Amino acid sequence: MNQTLAETLVDSSTSFHKIQTGTSISVRDLTISFKTPKGVYTAVKDIDLTIGKGEIVSIIGHSGCGKSTLMNAISGMVRPTKGEVIANDKVVKGPGPDRGVVFQNYSLLPWLSVYHNILEAVDSVMHDKTKAEKRTIVADNLNMVNLWAHKDKLPGQLSGGMKQRVAIARAFAINPSILLLDEPFGALDALTKGAMHIELLKLWNLDNRNKTIVMVTHDIEEAIFLSDRVVVMNNGPAATIREIVDVPLDRPRNKKSIAHDPVYVDIHDRLLGLLFDKFSIED
Amino acid sequence: MNKLLNYRTYLPALYFLASMGILIGIWSLISVVTHNDIPTPGMTWVVFREMLANPFYDYGPNDKGIGNQLVSSLGRVFMGFGLGSIVAIPVGLLMGASPVGMKLLNPIVQILRPVSPLAWFPLGLLAFKAAAGATIFIIFITSLWPTLINTAFGVSSIPQDHKNVATAFGFSTWRYIRTVVIPYALPHIITGLRLSMGVAWLVIVAGEMLSGGMGIGFFVWDSWNALSLEKILCAILIIGTVGLLLDKGFDALQKRFAY
Repeated sequence: MNQTLAETLVDSSTSFHKIQTGTSISVRDLTISFKTPKGVYTAVKDIDLTIGKGEIVSIIGHSGCGKSTLMNAISGMVRPTKGEVIANDKVVKGPGPDRGVVFQNYSLLPWLSVYHNILEAVDSVMHDKTKAEKRTIVADNLNMVNLWAHKDKLPGQLSGGMKQRVAIARAFAINPSILLLDEPFGALDALTKGAMHIELLKLWNLDNRNKTIVMVTHDIEEAIFLSDRVVVMNNGPAATIREIVDVPLDRPRNKKSIAHDPVYVDIHDRLLGLLFDKFSIED
Repeated sequence: MNKLLNYRTYLPALYFLASMGILIGIWSLISVVTHNDIPTPGMTWVVFREMLANPFYDYGPNDKGIGNQLVSSLGRVFMGFGLGSIVAIPVGLLMGASPVGMKLLNPIVQILRPVSPLAWFPLGLLAFKAAAGATIFIIFITSLWPTLINTAFGVSSIPQDHKNVATAFGFSTWRYIRTVVIPYALPHIITGLRLSMGVAWLVIVAGEMLSGGMGIGFFVWDSWNALSLEKILCAILIIGTVGLLLDKGFDALQKRFAY
């Protein structure tokens, strides 16, 4: 029921307009190394990547290829060893309210209700708003993901999909211009995942497609359905960008019909090839 | 099915009664073997009823009711335990939150923790010039460690996920302490308090034997001097029961704060 509603919303909102143009994120010559007991480990190396405002970009690659490290560098949770990340024309020196993060394992605080999980984040970031305004923001965002009825529940009482919706509502609530999603739907079953894709695009549409979304994933279908471009990473250590694949599919996209689109099939094959060529077994 | 008619409803109570039966059986056996040097449960029960008939009488410094002795001991225990907790929780938070604090303070904790409470007693006497103060002091110093160590462990084991939330949403230090550190560490702190209370209740008897004057420990020693083994056995049972009740209280608190 929910899904059909969301789907029509995505499919019908053709009257959007992009206000912003230009560069949102610029990663320049980025190398990140960690000191470990066994010596220096380089996660990613020589990464150059420019992401436009309002663009949806997926980063895809095998486990341990440094996808999350690249993501953490953009969010500011990890400092570059070499090079720099520029977000909204400012060099990233740490986490900031212009970049909202959704973590793989939801990362909700288990002792706070759904409502307070979002309110604490809003309260922490939005210093210039009054209490009433903050409450309105929380309510609006909970309504947007259809969780107002569950606002007083603890995260432990919610399903995985609901928890992830809370995490997404929390990230949207602080109204960041950049949204960073680290394998956001990785722990969800296929049906819930599909519904969440629609939900995410709906939120993006409601905001006139102004938010830049960067998403780490290892799901090819998810990457194509959501993204404007897909960044394919080489295997780590010292992972680099293998290739950036454009996804020139018109929006709004329809989950049902897109799978038969020859462009989609082409991109799908291309990504599979890029990811799996080293792993084929010789007959 | 009617819950009151189902025998399973009464099973825990039946097991408890059976357990007490075993205890009384072993006790009776020992009384027989020692030719009643150890009083029988029956003889003890008679004395116990006399003691409970008027628990709060006060006939001078060396003759007070068991209720008075118990209240006096509990007062000291909660005093020493309370002071210990006031010191242990903040220091534990500090040790858990700061690796430097941990490295600086942990050796001190490890050296002082295994020291017998009685070894501290002379220092208490020296400091407070009074036996009552010394008793509270040894309870304070021995009940510190479980709370301190558990608090430190709780804080130092905060999952990276929770820390990431605080970093990503720019939590201030105070917000981080209020919404992450305290709620996460609370179950660990309560576990520490529970263990500390157990230690405090163990130490009070020994402390009061040394300090004299009043309290359940003094009562045990006084009864030994009066050669009333029945009273000693009564005191043992009362000490055990009160200890159990204290533990159950903290158990309930622990369940209240489990996520």
